[in-house]
Amino acid sequence: MKKILTLLLSAGLMTTAMQAVSSPQEDLEKFRLYYEQRFPGIQLDDFGNGPYALDANKRMQWESMEEFPPYEEYVDKGREIWETPFKNGKSFASCFGEDPSKVRVKYPRWDSKTQQVVTLEGDINKCLKDNGEKPFGWKKGKIAHLGAFLGYEARGQKINVVIPDDPKALEAYEEGKHFYYAKRGQLNLACADCHVQYPGQRVRGQMLSTGLGQTTHFPVFRAKWEKASPDGDGMGTLHRRYGGCNKQVRARPFKAQSRQYRNLEFFHTYMSNGLEINAPGYRE
Amino acid sequence: MKKLIAAFGLTLLIAGCNATTPEKPASLKAQYEVALKNAQAAVEKAAAVDGEWRDIRWKKSKKRYLPSAIKAAEAGDYEKALKLLEIATFQAEAGYKQAMEQKNAGPRF
Repeated sequence: MKKILTLLLSAGLMTTAMQAVSSPQEDLEKFRLYYEQRFPGIQLDDFGNGPYALDANKRMQWESMEEFPPYEEYVDKGREIWETPFKNGKSFASCFGEDPSKVRVKYPRWDSKTQQVVTLEGDINKCLKDNGEKPFGWKKGKIAHLGAFLGYEARGQKINVVIPDDPKALEAYEEGKHFYYAKRGQLNLACADCHVQYPGQRVRGQMLSTGLGQTTHFPVFRAKWEKASPDGDGMGTLHRRYGGCNKQVRARPFKAQSRQYRNLEFFHTYMSNGLEINAPGYRE
Repeated sequence: MKKLIAAFGLTLLIAGCNATTPEKPASLKAQYEVALKNAQAAVEKAAAVDGEWRDIRWKKSKKRYLPSAIKAAEAGDYEKALKLLEIATFQAEAGYKQAMEQKNAGPRF
């Protein structure tokens, strides 16, 4: 009798454990449904416009800003970087293919060879190194300019992160998911606290955006970064933003392109699958 | 007999005095050295679980409690160093505890 009870109990526990881990597709459906129910009337792609999808006044300001977008010159700089040949005569096209509009949509991706998440920035610097060039800095400057150009070229295409049926890839996805929902820092806040629980609310003068659609517009031009930059270059990568968020909750930020942030990007971008790429974006 | 009583009394007196004599306090420097080791261990423990907080030692933090404590000690201000180490240790332990509590964090809508 005891044996039967133990078996039944073990089976029950196993079932519960299996239920606790949902598939990425299930996570995506729940995530999207939550925002659609919370903000009825907002079209799916509009979530990619962050706070400008939630507040009419902010949207008006943003639309007038978009008439002469401050990121435009950096898109041009990025185009120049793309077209400038390396010292060995090759160019970025030798790594990414001739068509720049087909690059951004491939990232982030799972690399089965190295068993890790690879980001666009990771492959940009790999391409530079493979061709004997000095890699760019990870968070701003040329890497963001090139990203802005590739994002601009990819506008209108749908985010399509693929999580292969590989335990290691799922592990990376789960780690990213855990990062998003785990409270951290002295303020004891998770990414999800602001962007799942409280989107549309204000933190000082800023309106919190929804987690859905957050990665579609990166790299981004931020007015805050523009002010802090001696030459007014407000462009920055997603990992620069992750670091800023962690800093704001008083957690020690991880390095750009660290395993933690790459896995977070994997989960975070997957959650926006099906939304249009609208990079580079403008944010306050 | 008298001698025996006197000897017994003396023994009691000595024992009593020993028991009530307060221990000589460790020097501030010695306290600092112990506190520094404890703080460093606590910080490493928090970092190992990705639970380190911003102001303990991150290079861009304006507070940097741990490096500031070392700096204060180097300048001979052990009291200040001990206060800073206390904060660093508290934050490191809290960061570790937080990371442990968040081990199973997942979607919540």
